[in-house]
Amino acid sequence: MNDDVCVIIPIYNEGKVITRTLRGVLKQFPFVVCVNDGSKDNTVEAVSKTSAHLISHFTNMGQGAAIQTGIEYGLQYPDIEYFITFDADGQHRVEDALAMLAYLREHPKTDIVLGSRFLGKTQSIPLIRRILLRLAIWFENATTGAHLTDAHNGLRVFNRKVATQLNIIMPDMAHASEIIHRIIEKKFKYHEFPVTIVYSDYSKAKGQSMANAINISFDILLQEIIRK
Amino acid sequence: MILIQVILIVAFLLLLTRFLVDPNSHQMKAGQKLITVLFFALAIFAVLFPGALNRIAHLVGVGRGADLLLYVLTLTFIFTIFSLYVRDKQNQRQVVALVRRIALIEANQNPHNRPRPKKRTFSEDNAGAG
Repeated sequence: MNDDVCVIIPIYNEGKVITRTLRGVLKQFPFVVCVNDGSKDNTVEAVSKTSAHLISHFTNMGQGAAIQTGIEYGLQYPDIEYFITFDADGQHRVEDALAMLAYLREHPKTDIVLGSRFLGKTQSIPLIRRILLRLAIWFENATTGAHLTDAHNGLRVFNRKVATQLNIIMPDMAHASEIIHRIIEKKFKYHEFPVTIVYSDYSKAKGQSMANAINISFDILLQEIIRK
Repeated sequence: MILIQVILIVAFLLLLTRFLVDPNSHQMKAGQKLITVLFFALAIFAVLFPGALNRIAHLVGVGRGADLLLYVLTLTFIFTIFSLYVRDKQNQRQVVALVRRIALIEANQNPHNRPRPKKRTFSEDNAGAG
């Protein structure tokens, strides 16, 4: 069951919740890769107690770098056909990941399925977060020509082709935008899928701030300038 | 010669020798080095003959030599910041690649990660590519 799937969970100081997240994911997916991004808490210990694979960056480099490391680890296994990125803090539901995977299996022409909280029934998105996300996706669609409703959803399911070519360079949170840019650039066939985000107090406290959103925008713009 | 001219010229000469003696300057491209030396020569020239700077300023439509200096300085500053930013990003990329490589090597050696037997090794990867 789902032997051909690699679930990648980037983790930075999520020792408190990772055990619970992993319990749910491991029930459905036997091959889970936890990329510990230089955590200073009990993350390593918590992951070691489970059957999930553990990779550790010895210093914190950001979520984008962690996801790319997880992809490269998973690619070492030639029998892995599908990759899933899943947040450590418990904001995603495993049944959404399963539904997205089922969609990708049924639609072999699709390369990547992206979760969207605005297509699904999200449990109470805080107002500021909602405005921020709307601005982000407007900016993203305007600069890439994509048609998406959610820019920064950590739940994604993609095939081996995407995993090989994604090559995330932005180490920090800007990777979410970078992935959209890469999808357009490499002409991957994408599909947005409604998902439900569970906004716990824990994930609310950890979410993106306004300042960070501005930083990311600048990073993306500068990256475009430098590349050309 | 006015005192400020002496101070400035001595400071420029000290900086120039410091720059030329620095062992890291060997890695610099010859062209870059030449431009830097030229830059110092111009700076000393401007200190010795402030009138010349004024005339150049008038030529490009700026009132005073000192104003021209400020504009050029601003441009140079922005250019420097930008090139430092680019270099910092390159350095960051190298660090990320390094940390990732180490993390993957360690993970592949970690007995905890061994339940999947169908693993391909790096050497097989290389053989397949060649």
